[in-house]
Amino acid sequence: MAETTPHSFGGSMGLSSMSLSKGFVTIVASTLALILLCIIFAPSAVTAGSLMGSLPFAAVLGIVGLGQMLVVQQGGFDLSVPGSVSLAVVIATHMPNGQDAGLLPALIIAIGFALAAGVLNGIMVAYFRLNAIVATIGMNALLFSAVFAISGGVPRITTNLLAHIAGGQTLGIPHSVLFALAILALVSFGLKKTVAGRRFEAIGANPKAARAAGLSVKPYQAMAYVAAQILYCTAGILIAGITREPTAFQGNSLLLPSVAVVVLAGTSLLGGRGFPISVVIAAFFLNQLSQFALSIGVPYSAQTIVQALALVFGIGVYSIEWTNRFKKEQTSSTEEENHETV
Amino acid sequence: MKLSNLKGCAAYMALGLGIALSASAASAEDAPSWCGPNKASLALLDGFGGNSWRLVTTASGKEEAAKCPSITDYYYADGQGDTQKAISDINSMAARGVDAMVVFGDAGPAILPALTKAYRSGAVVVPYRVNVGGEAGKNYTRFVGADFVYDGESWGKWIKENFPDGANILFLSGPAGNSQGLDELKGMKNILDDSYKFLNPDPFAVTNWDPSLTQQVLSAAIAQHDNIDVIVSDFGPSLVGALPVFANFDRSIPALATSDGNSLGCFWEKAHADNPDFKLFTVATGNDNVRLAVQWAIAEATGGTPPSEEIFKAPNFEDSTDGDPNPVQCRSDLPGAIYLSAQLSGDEQAKAVGQ
Repeated sequence: MAETTPHSFGGSMGLSSMSLSKGFVTIVASTLALILLCIIFAPSAVTAGSLMGSLPFAAVLGIVGLGQMLVVQQGGFDLSVPGSVSLAVVIATHMPNGQDAGLLPALIIAIGFALAAGVLNGIMVAYFRLNAIVATIGMNALLFSAVFAISGGVPRITTNLLAHIAGGQTLGIPHSVLFALAILALVSFGLKKTVAGRRFEAIGANPKAARAAGLSVKPYQAMAYVAAQILYCTAGILIAGITREPTAFQGNSLLLPSVAVVVLAGTSLLGGRGFPISVVIAAFFLNQLSQFALSIGVPYSAQTIVQALALVFGIGVYSIEWTNRFKKEQTSSTEEENHETV
Repeated sequence: MKLSNLKGCAAYMALGLGIALSASAASAEDAPSWCGPNKASLALLDGFGGNSWRLVTTASGKEEAAKCPSITDYYYADGQGDTQKAISDINSMAARGVDAMVVFGDAGPAILPALTKAYRSGAVVVPYRVNVGGEAGKNYTRFVGADFVYDGESWGKWIKENFPDGANILFLSGPAGNSQGLDELKGMKNILDDSYKFLNPDPFAVTNWDPSLTQQVLSAAIAQHDNIDVIVSDFGPSLVGALPVFANFDRSIPALATSDGNSLGCFWEKAHADNPDFKLFTVATGNDNVRLAVQWAIAEATGGTPPSEEIFKAPNFEDSTDGDPNPVQCRSDLPGAIYLSAQLSGDEQAKAVGQ
């Protein structure tokens, strides 16, 4: 850290600088604390078998969270998560109808739908200046109508091939986790190390300044929705493989957590920098938290309260005036460190 | 022009064929005793029609109504999970002058005023399966409930038979506090004494009947408890995705007492060889509850003899230990999301769920 600090301060937004972001530090500290709590009070929640069962869902939430993060970075909200994920689940299970040969065409069609939904969302929000919440709620309804049109609300059972690809394990690691890590690497690289990614973040932070600097703002804003849809679609396909017999409404439970992980990761709801690694860690945190609540065997009501309290705590860390209170000390100490290392 | 003529022709032919078929179906067998001589129209009102169980149930209700030649018109409306729409469906059927209504009251007592209004305007109103409050003879004609305590007792008896010296039980049900789960627990406790220990938080582990939540709940429970002897669930098919979790712990899937589903039967066939402890016992999922309700409604509306039963008791369906009343059933040629315990034939069910 000491070696990279001065450089990353100079570059201001290199991959390494993310490790310094407050969101990252908070979420890692919280996650470690949670793991410690698990080891003490609910050791069964951190056994290999238990993690094998729960990690795939953390992976799915992580991928959905990354999509939501891209939209939040542009100052928007994407409420079409449930429809989009459910549609991907339905297409991936319904069209092949249990036949492995039908899987590839189904996946292509699912991605086609995701692209179309993303482009529509993007055009509505970026070009027609519709409020993101309104536009994506409408899109969500449209996507659900597609769910009904395709399936009539009736799910089908996953093909063996998809169950193997999404639900299988390699070297003891669930495939869905590998997918999540690969997507994380891709999003991080795209955001932090490519010209387009840097512009994307700059536009999110201040569209007017970016416009004045000669960047074309709208395509970037629209792209956030397209990329997000692709990620939701991927998550939906993974869910279809993980739960052998999914419902047609599998995305419903993902909307709030998808926003929660973005907030827990320290992304500003006004737009700007994204923290992909923190989002994925936050997904693990939320998932582990519910496993913890389940394992200590508290009643369902208390489980819900534990999760809500953790969210309040997490969000409180960012929104309450902690920053101003400790700002002086923090900046002076970082400066000291910098002087030492330079 | 030509095309539309053709279309019209085809439509008339289909219509004619349909009428001929239904006429022959109705007259081929003698009308059952619950089907009286007076002509009547019947409406089936669903609170939420969008899953395979409901589609099979709807098709079952329709098939039951078709047995009675006195039924002149048959309507169906789907409330789509929207209480407002369910209420307006009931009102519009009453306004249309439908003689008998069979209502799946998903919204519970919220639809009672609409039911009462329809009943007072002279229609036969039969809510079924979900308690809507109110009283028979005052707010509606008759409530044809399902006996979930009986389901619990059936599971309890099987558990006692297979684990006479006590067992560790994990009981999974739907949303927190749902009355079905509470009744089932009551039934089990009627049969099982204190040597049978429930591992889940009281009264049951909450799964919302959602396969992905079920999977998470189950993996936490497996990690936490070394010996789970029996899993009891009131929605068997939602376990199909979750049961392979046992393999992550190198443990056999334990005995399972639940409700039936084709996918579950087929899963058992594939998995039981590798899982020596995996015994399966199911009760019927209860699609035929609607038939009893339809019989009541038609009997009241057409002047037939009402059935003797008022409450639907789900019969035992499969038992892998002694094959009584059936060994485990799997029709791999049919969709997983059908229920072989229903009277409606497997092929008809496949058609009903659109596959």
